[in-house]
Amino acid sequence: MKNKRPLLLDIYITFLKIGAFSFGGGYAMIPLIEREVVVNKKWIDKEKIVDIFAVVESLPGAVALNSSAFVGYTIAGIQGAIAAMLGNLTPSVIIVLLLSILISSVGSNPSISAVFNGIRPAIVGLIAYAAYRIGRAAIKDYITVIIMIIAFIGAVFLKIAPIPLIVFGAISGIIVKKIQSKKL
Amino acid sequence: MLFNIFLIFAKLSMFCFGGGYVMIPIILEELEKNGWATAAEVIDVVAIAGMSPGPIVANAAVGFGYKIAGVPGVLAALLGITIPCGIIVIVVAKFFLKFYENDKIQSALYGIRAVITGIIFFAAVKLALENGIIGASENLFIKNGYNIFVSSNQLFELKSIIIIVLSFLALLKTKIHPIFIICIAGGVGLFLF
Repeated sequence: MKNKRPLLLDIYITFLKIGAFSFGGGYAMIPLIEREVVVNKKWIDKEKIVDIFAVVESLPGAVALNSSAFVGYTIAGIQGAIAAMLGNLTPSVIIVLLLSILISSVGSNPSISAVFNGIRPAIVGLIAYAAYRIGRAAIKDYITVIIMIIAFIGAVFLKIAPIPLIVFGAISGIIVKKIQSKKL
Repeated sequence: MLFNIFLIFAKLSMFCFGGGYVMIPIILEELEKNGWATAAEVIDVVAIAGMSPGPIVANAAVGFGYKIAGVPGVLAALLGITIPCGIIVIVVAKFFLKFYENDKIQSALYGIRAVITGIIFFAAVKLALENGIIGASENLFIKNGYNIFVSSNQLFELKSIIIIVLSFLALLKTKIHPIFIICIAGGVGLFLF
């Protein structure tokens, strides 16, 4: 317990940082979690993090909070999950409380909206890059390329929700591996 | 009342699969039903939640909790969004880590990882659509933007596309931390828009 304390504090601060800089909700947090947890801290390897995002997508609740809890649990058990969630929530509490109090007196401001007009496309670039990084761990052959394209088309044009797509991925993965093992 | 706030946010968090904005219509209904906020007030809080960093659901919980019942309301709402889902996540994580090496699970994950890659690409496209960067209708046009049209339909907004491409390349080719890229993009936005 005692020698775990620096790790828990480390988890808390890491997720505080991630929370403070993720504009635009859960998906915007993925590139930051990947950079901090996989690249910088090396707490989790790059394939496992993709699998964690996959499980989190199919659970109820906020993607961002669930990812924090899941990653925290993987690193340091229940205490880790709590530390990560608290860290992730801290900036929200401070910033939203301040804004809620301020906005009624100040109102909207054109320079603030200009700053956000610059930030939003950068977030699009960040998320696209996260998909690219995750793809490097996930896309191993032409079959996975096809599954990825089907999922993308299903989400964009047919508006299929993440859970049915993930179920589709699981079933096609099991079938493909079964056929491959029979061939060998 | 505090317990009611807890219950409403617990319910909300259980229903919002994949993304905070899903819960907005549910929040609107619940708060109007209880006479806690008008539709206009809900929109203001959602705007603050959307422009603040952090999980949208958590931001909304803080904003609405404060609006309804001050700081105790914030605590009730935060407990509502964290406790039920936190318990589900921890139980699932426990089983997941136990069965992770199983062959069947690994075959399923082989397919699922590819789907996740597709879904995250989709998230990028969706964000661009929702913020008037691509395929926007007139009410979504970015102020001071430079829109490119094809037969009177907006194809994309040029300044934003340049920021997207430069951010992506910066991440790909350099070791600049994503947090710096967000800050630089904010500063660039101040000049461009």
